[in-house]
Amino acid sequence: MPQQPSPSSRSKRKITVAAVEDFPPGTRMEVQVGRAVIAVFNIDGEYYALYGRCPHQSAPLSRGRLQGTVICNAETGWETEWAYDGEVLVCPGHGMEYHLKSGKAFGYTFKLRTYEVVVEEGQVKLVM
Amino acid sequence: MATDAQSVKVQKVEPSFNPVQDEDLDQYSDELAEYTIVDVDVHVDDTLMFMLDYMEGHFRKRLETILQVDFKGEPGNSLRNMIAHIAWLGSSYDKPPRAKLASKQELLKRMEKGIIDYSILFPSELLPIGYLPEPKWAAALATAYNEYMVDAYQNLAGIKIAIVVAPQYPERAAEEIDHHAGHPDIVSVCIPDVGVNPPIGDQKYWPIFEAAARHSLPICFHGIEALIHDNYPLRVAHFPTLMQVNSMGFPFTSMLQIMSVVCAGIPVRFPNLKFAVLEAGLTWMPFIMYRLDAAYLRYRTELPALEKKPSDYIRAWHIGSHELEALPGRGDLVKLIELYQGQNTTMWASDWPHLERDLIAGFMRYDMDENLRRKILGENALRFFGLPPQK
Ligand code: FES
Repeated sequence: MPQQPSPSSRSKRKITVAAVEDFPPGTRMEVQVGRAVIAVFNIDGEYYALYGRCPHQSAPLSRGRLQGTVICNAETGWETEWAYDGEVLVCPGHGMEYHLKSGKAFGYTFKLRTYEVVVEEGQVKLVM
Repeated sequence: MATDAQSVKVQKVEPSFNPVQDEDLDQYSDELAEYTIVDVDVHVDDTLMFMLDYMEGHFRKRLETILQVDFKGEPGNSLRNMIAHIAWLGSSYDKPPRAKLASKQELLKRMEKGIIDYSILFPSELLPIGYLPEPKWAAALATAYNEYMVDAYQNLAGIKIAIVVAPQYPERAAEEIDHHAGHPDIVSVCIPDVGVNPPIGDQKYWPIFEAAARHSLPICFHGIEALIHDNYPLRVAHFPTLMQVNSMGFPFTSMLQIMSVVCAGIPVRFPNLKFAVLEAGLTWMPFIMYRLDAAYLRYRTELPALEKKPSDYIRAWHIGSHELEALPGRGDLVKLIELYQGQNTTMWASDWPHLERDLIAGFMRYDMDENLRRKILGENALRFFGLPPQK
């Protein structure tokens, strides 16, 4: 089913993060909106934004390293495999791992909130 | 949803190749300004190269030999890395990024923020000495460490030192305590308790307790996740992963040593001796207190020296909050502390700058009244280590 715009989406605020040329692939920004901190990443030209404080002890996720991780499930035949290379955000606090694209915490039942990022008139904008 | 009224700040950031250090303190600087803060578990770079100038004869030669080793990219002088992590090397795929050992400059920078009133320095690399098989070598390393630490870290505002002793050589440990006890910056005796065999209440160790009691120096037991040893209660064969070592190694060791000290009647023989346990978390405290009480009921006659039940002794032990468990509710830390009656004995500890150090947010997220927060952040530690308040 095609995604219906929610009634409230029209009233969402678009926050300018940076001009596209100032936010190249491989870089990241931390955006603070009021008291909320959002981490925004450019991975190979795609922008991803997620909640910027680790729920464990509040370390800034914008500073986390991106790498892969090990998975082991029915699809891998319960063999351990290296996966999600470059898409796993590692908390700089104590190493909790989050899937950058979905906000899902590896090995936990929760996910971090993710945000839409759009490019308009050469500006990268965070929708929230 | 964001409203137009909210301020926006955008900042370009770089990934952190070392775990973020100290930023957590900045984040809470206004809130923390009010409190006296004692960080009761702080580590500085004590890799073996610093010990070289403090060793003589064949032990110096031996240390020179060690310093030539390159251990898989780790500094060859890291006793900890050489014997602590080898079984599980690389198992966390370098995540989180490796913490550096803190230099003296980094420690001073942290103190200059004016947030922490006292840092109590504990050994880092020397923590595995408890299970080195050669008592004289362990004691020589302890002596060198203590002399180095006094030379390098004395007379610095807010910095206090715990000397380390090698429990496998109790007479030398007692001499070490006698030698350093009068120094105004020495505030505790650290017994690295992992791998100590037999457990630390054994009569062979009593010279250590006698010496500490003689000088009214509190004893701190400090664990380490290293389990390359074959001693009860934890043998390396029980732990196929470092995660299991890290979670159970500390509290199991602490529980064993507490049980051993209490059942040996040491608190009765040395009534002015104070004890603390560091780096084992908090949640097991109610377990060991009331579990021992339950058995005491039936087997008290085995422990005729005890004048009260085990939990009445253990209640007086102090405990460092690191590695603080993330309990489900914001009110749960207070409930836990009520269970072990630790309002006057729980002390905030960060374990800075180790990988698993606690960020202050981990403690501040728990709800508690001001009075209790004040005690845990500083007042309990001031009393335990005999430090004058600074604020
Ligand atoms: S703060 Fe993120 S893992 Fe601890």
